[in-house]
Amino acid sequence: MLRIFALLVLLAFGFAQEITVLTHSSFSLDKGLIARFERETGLKLRFLKGGDAGETLNRAILTKGAPIADVIYGFDNTFLSRALEADILLPYRSPEIQNLKATLLLDPTFRALPVDYGWVSLNYDRAYFKDRPLPKTPQDLTRPEFARLLVVQNPATSSPGLAFLMATVARFGEDGYLDFWAKLRDGGVRVAKGWSEAYYTHFTLYKGDRPLVVSYTTSPAAEVYYSEGKYQEPPTGNLFPELAFFQVEFVGILKGTKNLEGARKVVDWLLSKPVQENLPTEMWMYPARRDARLPEVFRFAPEPLGSVRMDPRAMAQNRERWIEEWTKVVLQGQSPESVRQGRR
Amino acid sequence: MAYGGFFVLLFLGLALFYPLFRILALGVGEGFARALANPYYWERYLWSLEYGLLSALFTLSLALPLAFLFRRRFPLRGVFLALSTLPFVLPTPVVALGFLALLGPRGLLGVDLYGTKAILFLAAIFYNLGLALRILLPVALNLEGPLQAARVLGASSPRAFLRVGLPLLLPALGSAGLLVFIYAFSAFGVPLLLGGPRYATLEVEVYTLLAYRLAFPEASALMLLEILTLGLAVALYLRLRPYPLSPGGLLPPPPWAYTLGLGVLFLLLFAPLWGLFLRLDLGALAAAWASEDFTPLSVALGNSLRFTLLALALALPLGVAYAAAARRSPLMDLLGLFPLMLSPVAVGLGYLLAYPNLRGSLLLLLVAYALLAYPLLARALLPALRSLSPSLLEAARVLGATPLRAFLRVEIPLVFPALQSGLALALAAILGEFGATLVLWRPEWTTLTLAIYERLGRPGEAPFREALAIAALLALLSGLAFYLLDRGRGRLG
Repeated sequence: MLRIFALLVLLAFGFAQEITVLTHSSFSLDKGLIARFERETGLKLRFLKGGDAGETLNRAILTKGAPIADVIYGFDNTFLSRALEADILLPYRSPEIQNLKATLLLDPTFRALPVDYGWVSLNYDRAYFKDRPLPKTPQDLTRPEFARLLVVQNPATSSPGLAFLMATVARFGEDGYLDFWAKLRDGGVRVAKGWSEAYYTHFTLYKGDRPLVVSYTTSPAAEVYYSEGKYQEPPTGNLFPELAFFQVEFVGILKGTKNLEGARKVVDWLLSKPVQENLPTEMWMYPARRDARLPEVFRFAPEPLGSVRMDPRAMAQNRERWIEEWTKVVLQGQSPESVRQGRR
Repeated sequence: MAYGGFFVLLFLGLALFYPLFRILALGVGEGFARALANPYYWERYLWSLEYGLLSALFTLSLALPLAFLFRRRFPLRGVFLALSTLPFVLPTPVVALGFLALLGPRGLLGVDLYGTKAILFLAAIFYNLGLALRILLPVALNLEGPLQAARVLGASSPRAFLRVGLPLLLPALGSAGLLVFIYAFSAFGVPLLLGGPRYATLEVEVYTLLAYRLAFPEASALMLLEILTLGLAVALYLRLRPYPLSPGGLLPPPPWAYTLGLGVLFLLLFAPLWGLFLRLDLGALAAAWASEDFTPLSVALGNSLRFTLLALALALPLGVAYAAAARRSPLMDLLGLFPLMLSPVAVGLGYLLAYPNLRGSLLLLLVAYALLAYPLLARALLPALRSLSPSLLEAARVLGATPLRAFLRVEIPLVFPALQSGLALALAAILGEFGATLVLWRPEWTTLTLAIYERLGRPGEAPFREALAIAALLALLSGLAFYLLDRGRGRLG
């Protein structure tokens, strides 16, 4: 009798197996796809939104050894080295790896597998700039009349924020980028905590007061898609392809997960064709899979020529220092000279 | 009896001193140098000092006249006194939301004071006025005797007040001022949610360094600075002893205009709470209950209730054992004040450093709660225990009771009201705990305060409404729980 009871209890736990995926607040996938996965595998998926990409990763690192989830998705190539150094991920050679674009496989240890990629880029509100001059070069942004129109994200917490910061380092150099940001600060640039806040609260398209925002090259296409026919052409556009930053988003299995099999299934599922083809219109990134088709609306999001592709080693070595220096200049009001002097 | 003291010392050693030591070890050294070299952190420190001192000043300048008003006997005096304690026991996210509901970007009053010093000082006054009032009132009551004597000897009223009244009030003013300073200097929830990036206090800065940059050395260095300052304040607080005055009775009732005026004042004072309840949207409450985007209210409520009961079960024997040991030993008394110096974020940081393997264990969170709550329990209990006549205890011993039995069967029942008041304070503190819970957060541990914070982090009208609804619920819960236990006695000593 006891044995039957124990078996039933075990079965009950087996049926109620839950896999937790830690992700950032912009995560979204078709509910039908999720339901199909749950039916086919008997797993229950729980999506834990940890805030911005940086915050999410930090939570995973702070709870290392007693992880709060089984899988983490959404950390990108700018934070990759932090995730790998903290040693919170398990390697997994998914059978889907052979279907992915080889250039995206930035982690040779297969702890972080690429799910999607895209470009972080400046967006501008066409309506606002219909009769007003646009900034012509990235340097123009430092002029007060343009700086006060710009909203960016804090690179410490936001992955597009960090991507944009790194783009400025690539274009203006180690010494020049601090001067660039100091002028932006003096000109009145606004710093939001994350992408959602910047885009949905401060961007003029959503009744904010800033017509220039750091977002993605696919955001104009997204506006057309969600407008339900209201827009035939995007109401926003991309500026300065030379300041666009190439970004890859990864998935990883957290060390200490109690359900390794289930976690692997989730990773395979994220890399499967149906999910990869659903990704573009849910999260507005390009699928990592070679054979995934792009939706029609992506004709409004061409690949930016001459975008910044930073070497992962350079990002790994300098990321923390760049964030710290940026924080000192932009948030703490220090001068670029004193920050540069502090380097010695 | 010695076992009680030993148990408390063991607990303090593991739960307080070892984590404190780990913060010290990490903070002194490279963290300290880096933090001190950065003018930004000095700014944060100076602002925290300013916030503490000015909050004390503003609160005292309102509390003193109020204390004098309360010397009179007027209708509903008891009710007003009981109400004055309420803000102090409210959780910080609730207060912050109340102010946001009134004076935020979507506030009822139409004025947006988010991110300004004004709203932070208003919140400090709201929180601490009752506390200061309670401390000043007994002294104000007892002043009548000496003041009369001075007038009989020929001094005019103002002169009597300046030369006799004020000096007698000074220790109480000092105590109240120091306590308000301690609470405001180490404030976390209110500056985090209302202050914006410009007016972050040290606590907020430590949390930001931890959660966003994982900068443990710098966070520890700043925390050390905070602990040292708080230690100084607590040391000063201990040295202030009130003047022994013969007890005075209530003065004859004032004109009814007083009561009316007082009523209006309290109405204004409680405005943030009205704001919260006016914006209460039952639809939002229902949405929050079964929310899919955030932690559902049902889960958060269950967690809060469960944790509070468990933590109280830990804090009660701890507080009683500590009070029993401390009433005769000044050293124990001093040791027990240490948690006052340790802010909730410090406790969280200390535990992350000291017990990384226990990060997944609920016990860690419960111990943090017990540590933060038991001093409140003990400080309510101690004066009552000390005032017990020793002859009662001797009588029990003569009749054959062991010390422990005498304590449990004779003394505790006699100080039961004080125990209840202490328990009420402890319960309110645990229910509304925010800082330590945030630092040690795990998704399955989301309490009501964190459920509010989650929703505030997302832009949009709907999450804000849900946050307001949860805050109103939490306010009701805290207030109810507190009053059921405390029944208006409100000893906040």
